[in-house]
Amino acid sequence: MSTNNDNENALAPDDVGDNAIEAKETEGLSQGKIVFRKFLRHKGAMISIGVFAFVALFAFSSVGFGPVPGWWIFNHTASGPVVNPGGAPTWSFSNFFSLGQHPFGQDEIGRDNFARVMKGTQISIIVMVIIGLVCLVIGTIVGAVAGYYRGWIDSLLMRITDGFIILPVIVIGSILGKMVGGANGPLLGLALGAILWTGLARLVRGDFMSLREREFVDSARVAGASDFRIMFKHMLPNAMGVIIVNTTLVMSQAIVLEAALSYLGFGIQSPGISLGQLISEYQTSFATRPWLFWWPGLFIIVIALCVNFIGDGLRDAFDPRMKTIPSWRKMKKAERMTQKKVANTTQKEEAK
Amino acid sequence: MTRFILRRLLSTALVLLVVTFVLYLLLNVALDFFWDLRSSTSPNIESLYESRRRLLDLDTPAIVRYFKWLAGVGGCVVGQCDFGIAWKSGQEVTSQLQGAIVNTVKLITASTIVAIVLGIAVGMVSAIRQYSGFDYFITFVSFLLYSLPVFWVAVLLKQYGAIEINNFINDPTLSSWVPIILVCVALGLFWMGALGGSRRRRLITFLAATVITFVTIYYILASGWLQQPSIGIVGVVVIGLGAAVVMTFLSTGLKNKRVLYASLAMAVIGALLYMPLQYLFYYQEMNWLWMFGLLIVTIGVAVGVGLAFRGPDPWDTVRTTFFTGVIIAVLIFADRVLQGWGDYSDQPAINNRPIATIGASTPNLEGDFWIANLDTFTHLLLPSIALILISFASYTRYTRGSMLEVMGQDYIRTARAKGLNERTVVMRHALRNALLPLASIIPVDIITMIGGAVITETIFGWNGMGKLFIDSMRQSELDPIMAYILITGLLAIIANLVADFLYAVLDPRIRVNA
Amino acid sequence: MTEQTSTAKSPVLDVKDLGVNFWVNDEWWMAAEELNYTVNAGEVLAIVGESGSGKSQSSMSLLGLLPSNGRATGSAKMGGTELIGMPPEKMQQIRGNEISVIFQEPMTALNPVYTAGFQIVETLRVHLDVGPTEAKERALELMRLVEIPDPEERFHSFPHQLSGGQRQRIMIAQALACQPKLLIADEPTTALDVTVQAEILKLMRELKSKLDAGIILITHDMGVVADMADRMIVMKAGRVVESGNAEEIFYNPQHPYTRQLLEAVPHLGTAIEGEAFGADLANVEDSAVVHETEASHGTADDVTAGSNDDGAHPPNATLSPMVTEGGADRVSGLAAAAEAAGQPKQDHDDIEMDSTKTYYHPGSQADFSQPSALQLRDAAIEYPAIGRKKAFRAAHHINLMVAPGEVVGLVGESGSGKTTIGRAALGLLPTVEGDMVVNGKSIKGLSNKQLRPLRKEVGIVFQDPGSSLNPRLPVGESIGEPLYLHEGMKGPALSKSVEELLTAVELPTSMRNRYPHELSGGQRQRIGIARALTLRPKLLIADEPTSALDVSVQAKVLDLFEGLQQEYGFACLFISHDLAVIERIASRIAVMRHGYLVEIGKSSQVVANPVHPYTQRLLSAVPVPDPREQRKRREARDAVLEATANA
Repeated sequence: MSTNNDNENALAPDDVGDNAIEAKETEGLSQGKIVFRKFLRHKGAMISIGVFAFVALFAFSSVGFGPVPGWWIFNHTASGPVVNPGGAPTWSFSNFFSLGQHPFGQDEIGRDNFARVMKGTQISIIVMVIIGLVCLVIGTIVGAVAGYYRGWIDSLLMRITDGFIILPVIVIGSILGKMVGGANGPLLGLALGAILWTGLARLVRGDFMSLREREFVDSARVAGASDFRIMFKHMLPNAMGVIIVNTTLVMSQAIVLEAALSYLGFGIQSPGISLGQLISEYQTSFATRPWLFWWPGLFIIVIALCVNFIGDGLRDAFDPRMKTIPSWRKMKKAERMTQKKVANTTQKEEAK
Repeated sequence: MTRFILRRLLSTALVLLVVTFVLYLLLNVALDFFWDLRSSTSPNIESLYESRRRLLDLDTPAIVRYFKWLAGVGGCVVGQCDFGIAWKSGQEVTSQLQGAIVNTVKLITASTIVAIVLGIAVGMVSAIRQYSGFDYFITFVSFLLYSLPVFWVAVLLKQYGAIEINNFINDPTLSSWVPIILVCVALGLFWMGALGGSRRRRLITFLAATVITFVTIYYILASGWLQQPSIGIVGVVVIGLGAAVVMTFLSTGLKNKRVLYASLAMAVIGALLYMPLQYLFYYQEMNWLWMFGLLIVTIGVAVGVGLAFRGPDPWDTVRTTFFTGVIIAVLIFADRVLQGWGDYSDQPAINNRPIATIGASTPNLEGDFWIANLDTFTHLLLPSIALILISFASYTRYTRGSMLEVMGQDYIRTARAKGLNERTVVMRHALRNALLPLASIIPVDIITMIGGAVITETIFGWNGMGKLFIDSMRQSELDPIMAYILITGLLAIIANLVADFLYAVLDPRIRVNA
Repeated sequence: MTEQTSTAKSPVLDVKDLGVNFWVNDEWWMAAEELNYTVNAGEVLAIVGESGSGKSQSSMSLLGLLPSNGRATGSAKMGGTELIGMPPEKMQQIRGNEISVIFQEPMTALNPVYTAGFQIVETLRVHLDVGPTEAKERALELMRLVEIPDPEERFHSFPHQLSGGQRQRIMIAQALACQPKLLIADEPTTALDVTVQAEILKLMRELKSKLDAGIILITHDMGVVADMADRMIVMKAGRVVESGNAEEIFYNPQHPYTRQLLEAVPHLGTAIEGEAFGADLANVEDSAVVHETEASHGTADDVTAGSNDDGAHPPNATLSPMVTEGGADRVSGLAAAAEAAGQPKQDHDDIEMDSTKTYYHPGSQADFSQPSALQLRDAAIEYPAIGRKKAFRAAHHINLMVAPGEVVGLVGESGSGKTTIGRAALGLLPTVEGDMVVNGKSIKGLSNKQLRPLRKEVGIVFQDPGSSLNPRLPVGESIGEPLYLHEGMKGPALSKSVEELLTAVELPTSMRNRYPHELSGGQRQRIGIARALTLRPKLLIADEPTSALDVSVQAKVLDLFEGLQQEYGFACLFISHDLAVIERIASRIAVMRHGYLVEIGKSSQVVANPVHPYTQRLLSAVPVPDPREQRKRREARDAVLEATANA
């Protein structure tokens, strides 16, 4: 509870007990800080952020990005002599542990699998981020406008989203992918973003519709605020939770979708490179060179899993109903601790 | 309610029409109708181009062609469908569709039902054990499943679920017991987490589950069950009695002796009918109509037994005997199907590799109704698993979330304050309400399934709609693609209708207002 | 603890040293401690306290119904059985059987997917060995016991098909199903409208005498306590501050907190002589006579206030000072009083409950030629159609006028359309018929943009201070927004104005950088008021500004409001469901029912001399925090409820 409270305190402890429990959790923090603190406490999300950052850093620095060269000696196109028979991975436990020249192995023409997987990861991450951004922008604006103005704008939006959800994304994705696809990652990202935004728009719309009924919106209108100001200054910050969380979840969906399309041949195609494309290229050699198949798959899973967990952590953090309920074990332990403390003090007192 | 549904139907149908229009135009840009001629060095290349153009009517503007296509499709109303032709193969699209629709619906229905049942059960337990190790485990698994690319899993399934298992069936020698013991311990831990309870109870659950799993696996390996799998009368009796007990527990609680005896009686009747049924199956050629008739008989018997035991709540009894009866019927059916295993494996078309990786059925297979079914099941197995893995995760997450939400409601507190036991609170008060929002995600999930089927069908060579779509995309065949879009759209509309209907049945607030 | 066992009966429940803790942020947080009390059979023990006093949690701990992060310590014995720490299997036998609970929100406390009858039957069949037919019989019996009309039909109704009062009756029937020894009623009437509350209280009193159960009544409403309780416990911040016989505590509170709490409760009928009022509600003419006699008693003590009231309208004479400030110095008020004196009492027996015609007390007819802050001229207001949802007309034919500087109270129950009028006056809802004139300008049919300049002159204070402030803006920014938008004020000038306003609502200026959730409910409502007053409006709409607040906070906020009203001199439409609050703050009262204005007049006229049967019902239903007076009122109330039951 606030310390410099006013005279109400004397008479009305109107936030003792239940309220105090909340007050204690939120004391002196802005909403953003509370969310951040809750997010930090989410172990899964924290680990995921670490892993994801590590993967991204590795993917961009190892083989270089654009004009910037990377630190890895091979690149994803050049082929070299096949070191191990069949191009098997070269890491071994001789000398404790050594990576060898091609720790992820090589393909049949001697290209370094590590460089290829890193390049693929790079492209896949770029596509994922572009999809996320496109969805964020379109979804937020359309959702906000529809939710705020309702009426025919809203009906139109709902019909458009109906059109998108009536068919599986992979179907529309294939068609768009076939149109723009080929080797161009960013363009594919834009195209896929253009189909995936509808889910976010629906959620933002729902959020805006309920926010619209909140009194502070009326209050702002009575204060003389324009529609634009109400939407973007008052309502948008309150819808940030929904937007951030769902953009994250769209991104996790996006990376798997991109991989699937590339696998089917409607996304990124050779000579372009992405994780899905790698699997597609190497699937027939699964029996003979399994490493070519395993690594890109693992990287898709790791990235998608990280993004999913980050999204989950964000959702928990933004959800006001989510209270961290302690585990039963932790409570018991604390109980024992307090009992011990009490016992100690009483003993001391008795000793005195 | 009817008006509401009709209005929705109409508006979705319009949306579908607009979607087909837009996609038709897009496809005209995206597809290259001359892809096979591009690298051709044929001297009469010009005339080849010309004849292709005439074949596909490409000189007509795309918009006009769309309406021509629509007119052909509209013929379905009067019984004269014309979906056009797949120009590469020259086949009529209508003939391509027939088998494809059946196969896809088969695949999707099987996977959806299993995914819903498993997803709801696991999600519910996960919610009840919120913040337990089990809950964290399930959360992790469902995120993992979300993140798995289907095509990647499918390739793995082919390798480890079919090729290796087939090898193992032919040469069942274990290289090491370690993985088996690990599996046993893992299952023990799983059940311990799922059932929970005091420390003592958890320990007992763990030991029991581990030992039971181990004994089962040991029996399977030692008895050569894999070469000649069967359930047999012993299996029917044991599993039937178990099902009776579990159903009673879930439905009314084991304290209700009358219901328990009724469902046990049901199991005994099933066991008694086992032998006569074998004779019937032997002397009478079976088909699905027969199966359906027998199912009706089973339900009749179940209801009869339920009513015979009655008790204060006849419908509780009937419900329990009904579910027990259906489980036993399925058991006996499965038993009979498995009896054909030996014959099936030995067929030259199978060549002792029973688990299929390609196609929807084995060509040139000889056999009766039972063999044909066994063949379908072995083919259905892997693609279904791949599909189930995707949607199992979303059902689990939704059920968990919805259940947690409901468990925090005031009426749950009221139910507890009434003195209901935890089973009744969960099964009667919480689950029913938690299922409501699920009704709205089922259609969404079915559409996702159809999308997933595109990939699984392609990989497993399952001749369904999805494979048709991908093949046509690769061949730039416009008409089959449009047919796919139209039919999938219709399936989605039907799924939505079913969901609306489900919602109305489950939620009195909607039902009564209608 | 002074435990007075006034009744000879044996205690059903014996609570010793009960404590409740919650595990929050790695430590135990005390919600209640050192509770000691007993409940005897056939006796009502009221546990009174404001929000967060631990009154509810401590009672839930008796049944082991605490949330998963809560724990209970100490002892609670029921006939020798220890309840605290009882294993769940055993507890299930107690719940609903020996101890049952009536929850606050009948809307959410019943399972929406099962019929009312099923939910009662379920309770019966869990604990008693009865078949479905017999259980249904008993359930119907119970439904008759709690006076549900048409029980056979209601048995098959789903909760959403029942009204709030009926739902609460089902809840009570369910709680009584197994004839429990102890009944815990957790704010049983808080979520209900006042007339429904009266019916439920009446029912509970009747049941109390029929059954031999001990009742724990958890409430924050002193009126309810006065109506029901034999003994009471006053809790504050998890501890008992006072306990004992209810009447003794009411008339002779020992602890300062109890005293403050009692003083803070607005007391209906302060505008007139409370004792006599109510007993005669049933007959208007009689009441008038009583007034005359009362007046002759009263005049002697009321020299100061009575001077400008010429004695013709005695009830005003006994007003507390604020009513005099608010209303008596108003010219129209005087005129009305004079008129009232001049007019003979009419016989209004002909007004039916469902009459939608407005009854104007003398002097309250809307005279639209007068300058006024707000005029509704035969106005009708609609919630516009959205998509397929049809437009809903929430107010019909309203003729209402608020003079400059006047406070008019608008009272009604939920769904009466009172909030609708407030929102329409702000241009948030369209006036579809008639006219709406704000500060001399018609706002009918104006767009949001056209309304903007007019908004400078109107302010609003919303009901829920938690929802009316943008949670993502520091409160200082919320207060300053109107200044920024209308006057383009920025930087230091804006800061200065904000600080002045904060001082005006008695908050430290340092609070401007806080976010709403960091403030208490009372503080937030002060901010709400400050924001409404930023542009010094001529008209203020106050929409239930205190109903979300605890009673002692409410008193403070009302004091502040009155002070500011005097200082700023704005006119105000004060909307509330609470007649006592309205009576305290408004000079005139308008009563709404089902979208129609049914009665309007000076506060004293309406309170002392209600004409419309609905107003009578409303007035009689309010429990007053005074056991003796309430006892008298109760009889009158029951009579009025009886007479107007078919509403």
